[in-house]
Parts: sequence; structure tokens; C-alpha cells
Amino acid sequence: MKDTLRWAYALNQWNVRLDVFVRHEDQQRALKTVSACGFDTIELASGTGRWDNISRPEVILLNHGSHQGFLDFLRRAKVQGVSSMFWDPQAPTEEEEGYAFRSTANPADADAIVEWSKPFVDFVAGVGADQLVVRPVGSAWMSPPLDADGVKVIGDVWNRIGERAAAAGIGLALHYDCLGAVHTEAELTALLEVTDPATVGFALDTAELTVGGIDPVAFYREHAPRVTHVHLKDTRYADAGEEYRMPGAESTMLKGGAGRRIERWFYELGTDGGLVDVPGFVAALRERNFGGWVVVESDHGGNPAELAMLNSWYLQHELGIEK
Amino acid sequence: MVWTKWSYMDHWVTETPQGPQPPSFNRAYMDRYIRQLSALGFTGFDTFFFYLPFYAGMYGGVPGFERFLQDNGFDKITGIFSAYPSATKYTAPHVRETHDRIVADCTNTLRMCEGLTGVENFIVMPTSTYHQTEPVTDDTIKVVADLWNRVGKLTLERGMKTTCHFEFWGAIRTREQVDTFFRYTDPEYVYFFCDTAQHTIAGVDPVQLFRDYSDRCTGFHFKDTKNVDEHEAFRTPPDPELMAPEVTRWFYEMGEGGLVDFPTLMKEIVASGYDGWLTVEHDKAELGGGSYAEATAVAKWYIDNTLAAAEAEARAELEAAR
Repeated sequence: MKDTLRWAYALNQWNVRLDVFVRHEDQQRALKTVSACGFDTIELASGTGRWDNISRPEVILLNHGSHQGFLDFLRRAKVQGVSSMFWDPQAPTEEEEGYAFRSTANPADADAIVEWSKPFVDFVAGVGADQLVVRPVGSAWMSPPLDADGVKVIGDVWNRIGERAAAAGIGLALHYDCLGAVHTEAELTALLEVTDPATVGFALDTAELTVGGIDPVAFYREHAPRVTHVHLKDTRYADAGEEYRMPGAESTMLKGGAGRRIERWFYELGTDGGLVDVPGFVAALRERNFGGWVVVESDHGGNPAELAMLNSWYLQHELGIEK
Repeated sequence: MVWTKWSYMDHWVTETPQGPQPPSFNRAYMDRYIRQLSALGFTGFDTFFFYLPFYAGMYGGVPGFERFLQDNGFDKITGIFSAYPSATKYTAPHVRETHDRIVADCTNTLRMCEGLTGVENFIVMPTSTYHQTEPVTDDTIKVVADLWNRVGKLTLERGMKTTCHFEFWGAIRTREQVDTFFRYTDPEYVYFFCDTAQHTIAGVDPVQLFRDYSDRCTGFHFKDTKNVDEHEAFRTPPDPELMAPEVTRWFYEMGEGGLVDFPTLMKEIVASGYDGWLTVEHDKAELGGGSYAEATAVAKWYIDNTLAAAEAEARAELEAAR
């Protein structure tokens, strides 16, 4: 995209199950799709095991030999580089103590999680990416409500990892999601306040904030100096209040297993009935000369190629950005 | 200079609440489909005659549909595809008694195109299936040629060229049969439409065919194949495209290791001075779990990179030769 904002596209929508998106030729087709849509930079998601050979740093390196080997693989499809990589330390992986379940909300887990961050920090730096984007805490339904001390415990972990990231020359961005234990605007603001602005930034996801009941445009205007990364996507729904607290909210809420039975929450830009003021948000980014990556996402959507093309159409035709 | 006249042939299947369906499922799906083609940079749109009533209903007339295309960066509807793949007692290009009906059908299709910016190609399958038509003699080809001479005169009066798209399973499939057909047809009224995969499957080199008929060529379907028909699959009744025992999927998008030499074809096109539309077609891209959307994006990537390089090379060679 030929623009003053830096645009990237997230690959997570292709990697929807453990055993898909493994063959290199399938990955090349996805990369070519992204490239044909006008994006020359991608965001990677984290994963685990031998089939996550475009997600788990150690497995990527095993597949491509080196950071440069992986970049060469991307460049075969005219994708020039990586903007960022997403990591959720609460998601158990075989590489992290054999599927150990740990949480940043538990002080006893802090050392292990800081250690787990090493391959991600090294990989993000190794491929020349800007940001390690992280899920700061697990889902709200899995733990009691956070108090101020709880937020501080979480913040301390990320301050330590932020230092590591800064030493490696990359940024660390905390990504809000609509199920997270840091849920309200007050909790989110508190988390930002207990983290070091010099080493810990915020990854603003327009749809996740909207589902969580936080206006992304207003939040950005208020916290612009802390926002170092953006996920741009739309939603047609907001949490009615406490849906995120339903047991198993990953399925009961986000896959429509219970409650209002909404099976899909996240949508492409320009979707009918979308709640996110995308033009307003992008205008706000421009007003503040946002210098980070704006990553377009369509996770938990439908056919990834269709959604990539629709997002590209929106950028070109509704935001007036030349491909 | 980069080739800008890339059009898309209206094959597409998308997921709907009622399963995989063409985007004509409803207006919202149609809008999304057109926007996706637009995002990739296609500026022409070819469609089938049988979709025109659907689009007229959704967009308040076929011209209304074309205006929607134009609102999304397209130039216009570039081609209309008409065909009688199965011979019936009412319509069979090799049966002279059915020609009046076919001409009447074509007249109706032309009527539906009134008010459009300027459809350039009236694309036809010159014959029905081989197995329904054989034996294919010179006389058979002459009867078929007479039909398309009539239709060609008719469409030219409406500004469209009747252009013949040969199938590997059609009654005119070999090089000799194609040559005979073009001898029997009037170059003023009947043109050549080069489907790269269909000719390759039939054992005919599409690049050479274009070289030999470039003066009558008015369009292309850029699609690939991984198989030449080595088992007389073209005789398979009722349909060789989906029922051939040896090959379950014939057609692929460009750049996926197929048999067609697209860079060489692109260079030939540039060298010939051809300045018409180049059309991407995906036919049955969903076979084997494929996606039309991804196939289209991958094909456009191939155009923007591999074919753009071939085009630039050809233009540089032309410039150097001046």
C-alpha cells in the first residue's frame, strides 16, 4: 500500500487449525494473495509444534535454516518482511515446559514466562520485525476479578519482558482482547499505568476494544503516545455486558455456543452493520502521525483470501489508498 | 507500459449459508465478489449469457450491473459467453435445422446487452460435445461454420465480434479441425478466442495457434492444465470435464506448475501488436478443496510479477529491434 501509514496483513486467518497451512506451497499461495492485495509485510501468529512451521520461532528456523532463509521464503512471493509477531504465554505449547499452563496473573509464573519470551524476542529481532505483540493476561472467566495488586503483578512481568525486547531493539505491545481479564477501560488504563512507557507499548485492536465496550477512536485519542501497534478489523457486535465471563467464553461466546449464539464476531472492513468507525480511526492515526504498523486482520472470519481482497478493496476504495 | 486490460471470466463459487454457491446467490454476495476482483485490479468482466437475467434483476438491468462494475474501477463488461455444450433436438450447432433457433437465442442475448458501454466479444463454443457430434467430417465442420458466419454477421451489427472458444471435448478440437473451421468461416465475421488450457489438453500448442491466427484472435482465457488428454477422455459421455476416469481435475490457475508456457505467450502477444483484453478464467477451481478467491489472487500475483516481467522483456526486445 502506497501510504504514509505502514500497512501489514496478519496471516493468522489462514492458520485456523493445528493440521492446516503446513505445506510451503500453501503458505506461498497465502503470501501471494496478500501481495496481490497490495500488502508487502505480514504479521505472524505464534503456535506450537511441527505443524506450526510459520508460527513457532524454533519450528520456522528448523524449516528455513535461518532468519534470512525465512525472509527469502517470504520474498519469493514478493512479501518483503515481517512487521510483528503475536504471542500468548497463557496458551500452552509443547515448547514451553511441555504444555505448562501459566499465567501472568500468577506471580509464581513470572520467571518462567519471562524465560519463555526469549525465542520470540530473538526471532522478532532476527527477522527485522518491529513488535512482539502479546496477550497480557488470560481470559477473565478463568480467574477472579483483578484488583490493583493483580494488575501490578501482570505489569511487572511485561516490564521485565519489555526490557528484554528493548535490549534486542524491538518493541513490546500489549494487545487487548475482549475476553481478557484486563477488560474494562479502567483496568486497561491501570495496566498501561503500571508498565513502563519506554519499553511497553499498546497494541490497539479496533474490533476487540469495540466488543469489549471501549470506543477505539476515543481510546486512541486519549492514549496515543502509548499506542505502538494497531490491529484493524471490524465487528458487528459488542459484549452485552458480562458475556465474556461465561465459562469457556472462547467457545460459548466467540463461537456462539451459548448466550446469544453469535457464531462469528469479527468482520472485514466495510462489513454491513460494522460498529467500528474505521475512517474515523484511520483519520485519528493520521492526525497523530502514527508511526507504527497498522495490521489488517480477519481472524475468526471466513475464507481468508476473500477477506483479504475485501479488506484491500476497502483500503483502496473507501480510504483512498493506492495499492 | 504495463498491460492494463485484464478481465475476469465469471466463474466463481463462494460459501453461503446454503453451501457453496455462485455469487449470484444474492446481491450482497455479488457486490462482495465484484469488490474482490476490483481489489486485485481487474478492469474487464466477462460473463455467461445465462447470468444476464440474474444481474438485471439485482441491479435494475444489465446496464445497472455494468454501472456497479464501473463504480468499482472496471471499464465495462467485455465479453458474453454463449454455448450449447450438449446437443439437443432444439439446439445443436452441427445440425443445420437447429440454426434458426440458435440465431434467435443469440438475438435475445444481444438484446440483453443493449445500453452497455461496448461488449467486445460474443464468445461461443462452436460445437457441442464430441461424442454427440461424431463422426466429425469436413461437412460437419462446414455446417458449424455456416452457423457462426450467420451469428458473426448478426453480432458485428451490434458491435461485437463472434469469437470461437474451442474445448478439448468439443467436436472441433484437433489442429487440423481448427484449420478447417477457420477456412470455412469468414474472417470478417468469425474470430478466434484462445483458451490456453483447452488447446493444451487437446494436444494443440496454444502459443503456435496464436502465432498462426493472431490476425483473427480477439481474446484469451489464461488458465493452466497439468494434463494432456492421453486416454481419449474427450469422448467420455456425458461430460469429459468432470467424468473422465483418468483426470479428475483438468484446470488450474497460472503459476502452479502447469503445462502452458504463459511467459512465452505473453511475449508473443506483445510482439504481435495485439491490444485487446486478456482474460483470467478459473474453471472448477474448487475441486480438491480449492478456493476461487485464492485462485484468483494467486493468478493476479502471477500477472503482476511473472507476466509483467515477460511483457517488459518483450517490449524491450521490440524497442531494441527498432
